Amino acid sequence: MKKTLLILVPLTAIIYAQDEIQTNSFADAFSQSAFIPDISLIVDMSYVNRNLKDEEVAHLEVPGVAHGLIGGHSHGEHSHSTVNASNGFNLNYAELALHSSVDPYFDLDAVFHFSEHGVEIEEAYFTTNAIPYGFRIRGGKFLSEFGYLNNQHHHVWDFADMPLAYQAFLGGHGINEIGAQVQWLAPTSLYWMFGAEALQGENEQMFGTGAIAPAGDPEAITVSSPDQPNLFVGYTKLSGDIGDTTLLGGLSIAYGDSRIDHLEDAEAPHAFAGTSTLYGADLVIKHYFDSYSYLKWQSEWLYRDLDGMQYNYPSDDTTSFNTVALRKKQSGYYSQLLYAYDQNWRIGGRLDSIYQNDVIANSTNKEMPDDLNRYTAMIDYSTSEFARFRLQYNHNTALYNEEGEQQDVNSLIFQVNMAIGAHGAHNF
Amino acid sequence: MKTFFLTLILLVSTEVFAKLNIAVSYPYIGAITKVIGAENVNVSVLAKGNWDPHFVVARPSLISKLRRSDALIINGAHLEIGWIPPLIRRANNRNILPGSKGFLDLSSSINMLQKPTSVSRAGGDVHPDGNPHFHLDPNNILLLARRVASFLSTLDPSNRSNFENNFQDFKLHWKKEMKKWAKTMASANNKKVIEYHRNFDYFLHAYHIEGIATIEPLPGIPPSSRHTIELINTIKTQHPCCIIHDVYHSTKTATYLHNKTGIKVVIMPHDIGALESIESLSELFDYLTGQFND
Repeated sequence: MKKTLLILVPLTAIIYAQDEIQTNSFADAFSQSAFIPDISLIVDMSYVNRNLKDEEVAHLEVPGVAHGLIGGHSHGEHSHSTVNASNGFNLNYAELALHSSVDPYFDLDAVFHFSEHGVEIEEAYFTTNAIPYGFRIRGGKFLSEFGYLNNQHHHVWDFADMPLAYQAFLGGHGINEIGAQVQWLAPTSLYWMFGAEALQGENEQMFGTGAIAPAGDPEAITVSSPDQPNLFVGYTKLSGDIGDTTLLGGLSIAYGDSRIDHLEDAEAPHAFAGTSTLYGADLVIKHYFDSYSYLKWQSEWLYRDLDGMQYNYPSDDTTSFNTVALRKKQSGYYSQLLYAYDQNWRIGGRLDSIYQNDVIANSTNKEMPDDLNRYTAMIDYSTSEFARFRLQYNHNTALYNEEGEQQDVNSLIFQVNMAIGAHGAHNF
Repeated sequence: MKTFFLTLILLVSTEVFAKLNIAVSYPYIGAITKVIGAENVNVSVLAKGNWDPHFVVARPSLISKLRRSDALIINGAHLEIGWIPPLIRRANNRNILPGSKGFLDLSSSINMLQKPTSVSRAGGDVHPDGNPHFHLDPNNILLLARRVASFLSTLDPSNRSNFENNFQDFKLHWKKEMKKWAKTMASANNKKVIEYHRNFDYFLHAYHIEGIATIEPLPGIPPSSRHTIELINTIKTQHPCCIIHDVYHSTKTATYLHNKTGIKVVIMPHDIGALESIESLSELFDYLTGQFND
């Protein structure tokens, strides 16, 4: 009897299960799988060989401009890791991108930047598509369209790393902020676009939204936080064609208050508060020989003007500050030439320079080095649109150690970038 | 500031308000739209006819063309997936958005060949909706013209009868042309050919020619030596009449195959403007059919 029962139970289960399968088609009536957004995953990895050890590179700085440009670095609880940071193997990131229409009026985009150290929401924004008269509004966290390169993701870049001036002035993420953007496209035969952005201004390299207070007496706010949003960006871009050559030029400006807090640094803690302006000019000229082969010349010039006060601790006391009136006028550019031989092979060279480095403390120019150059060459091979292998060599003369001695940094980078899924085509 | 606005006003074409401004992706769509729309439309073609239709550069000047258009007609079936979406996203023009009244995807009027049953990029750069190069079947041109006529009528109902008459005239003319081409192509029935990419399959289908292989091993993947050696064997055993080759890929591999096997290499324009001499749809099919007339 028991045995019969034991057999009966699975039997009835099977009979009912089959019944279930026959009626299962009802479930499809409510299936929403057709509404799954475009999803893509981009993975970037590299093998790096440098002439200096990781710990040596991590302490190098661009004097008067930025420190810890290569390698992971940390100040306070924030730790950043740039791409190609370590000698040997690097998993630079796995980036998950989603895109879809929300309704007839909006698109929604998000990019999640996964690294070994965690996840960042790199972008999450809506974009209008139904506003008349050539306007478009975007809101959320996004890459600003300041300049040409700032709006592009790393995997679109023609080199494995960011141009020196961008990285030194704005940090490894560029202007990547929460805010709102309005763009207007003129109804002209030339492409002529105007844009304005109001951004939170959390960028730690140049702007920032925190208050400044000595670590030993955090209640004694020395400089309060700025009005937020704190960063305003404006730009115009103009483009036209001459035969099979496209020209695209742009002018940009970014303006905001600075609250740069390096008070928790182990070496020479300091803070800066003031107002800062970044000016940019960019020019891209691309000539097509046929559907697959082209020559592209891309250049950007950046100038920044920081005007304010620097705060340092007097010797061992961390409850009060010494102040110095500080002004920084710094300019740099990069210029790169890229030749695509066919769909597979491309070769390119890049010149980076920071050529003006006026750091004026209490009316005295501190005579900072102003011949900070980097030279880069690369060759890449794509097996398809979705996989690219790149070999890049950098000779960097822009970095100095803590004793103020210039250090040549030579890097050989082998980068592999692959994409799967539905990834939207890129802008010009 | 005053001069700025004056320049702006000068730059804006005053004609804009008189006729329908139609942007189209490829030259053949432009030709159909001009025939049907005639004096009631301005047509601007985005892609050049002599370049690979899959790889059109999304130049900013194309964005400003879309910005000023009342409508957009595309081939569809993912042929423009690599270049039209970023243009639309920047054109800030709600009249041409997919799904709106001013957007026409021609592939919806066509029964497509080679619809894949499963899709993976391991199989190359496949078109998930089927082969999108359907305009090279002359029968399809009529279906497309019919579709364009009704599209223009919904955009500009006051000219419905003009569009309808233009379509009827075109239909008569095209049917005569098709008879001529069918005669030319009668001798080509059941021939075998090799293509670079499967972009002439609709033409082959229309005239009962068999495309037995492609020079690219998989869609969008450049020729490999292993695949080329296989092709030499295919040519020797199956005796195709020729390699029909598009104008935009390198003929290096085709020339190599010619040297190894003696197979004829025939250059085939895929669109108006692919060769300088081809300025109309009739000239395109005259040329294509003429290549088989021996």
